[in-house]
Amino acid sequence: MSKEKLDLASVKVKLFASSRELVGENEVQINFADKTTVGNLRKKIVEMYPALSKITFVIAVNHKVADDSTVINHSDEVAILPPVSGG
Amino acid sequence: MITISKDPIDLCNIMVLTKEKSAGGQVLFIGSVRDHNEKGSVSEIYYEAYKEMAEAKMTEIENEVRKRWPVKKFVAIHRVGNLKVGEPSVAVGVSSEHRKEAFEACKYAIDEIKTRVPIWKKEVSESGIAWVEGISPKK
Repeated sequence: MSKEKLDLASVKVKLFASSRELVGENEVQINFADKTTVGNLRKKIVEMYPALSKITFVIAVNHKVADDSTVINHSDEVAILPPVSGG
Repeated sequence: MITISKDPIDLCNIMVLTKEKSAGGQVLFIGSVRDHNEKGSVSEIYYEAYKEMAEAKMTEIENEVRKRWPVKKFVAIHRVGNLKVGEPSVAVGVSSEHRKEAFEACKYAIDEIKTRVPIWKKEVSESGIAWVEGISPKK
């Protein structure tokens, strides 16, 4: 494991569609004491923005839908994706 | 070729882009804004995309199509923004030597676009304005 500085453990999260409207922002920054996982991020973002508990969503890391066990790195692009409805 | 665009979809241009001398078949699927949903009439739909990921997913779908069928040309365009009833929101054009591959490839592409690409629609209908219940995107 590499030694990450504490200030590197902040994650910027993009929000879309219903999740964007429920939070009222296009992007939020969430701080963690250390490197975190998708599962921890999911828990923390719902604690910070309880309105998100009204919808189901998956979390994408670097344009791929990620498992809860996926570790988030400082430079990763993270996004909340409500169920898609294109077409 | 894939595109996420704010501009109206030029359907004739897709026919031109998928034209190929060695292709005996060309298929064009057009998805448009319908004037109703299960609750009543719809006047317009707002489409929103996570553009970078949507482009990556549509490219992934094009690559899968090209692996599975010997297509000559492939074009998929999804529109974003406010669309009125009747306006095309998505189009997929495929050409191949014979019609069977073109039909199959086109169906696969539009089915996958609807379930995997991060695009969302909000309908303006007589019962109000609401995000459409969608499908949780798979990996």
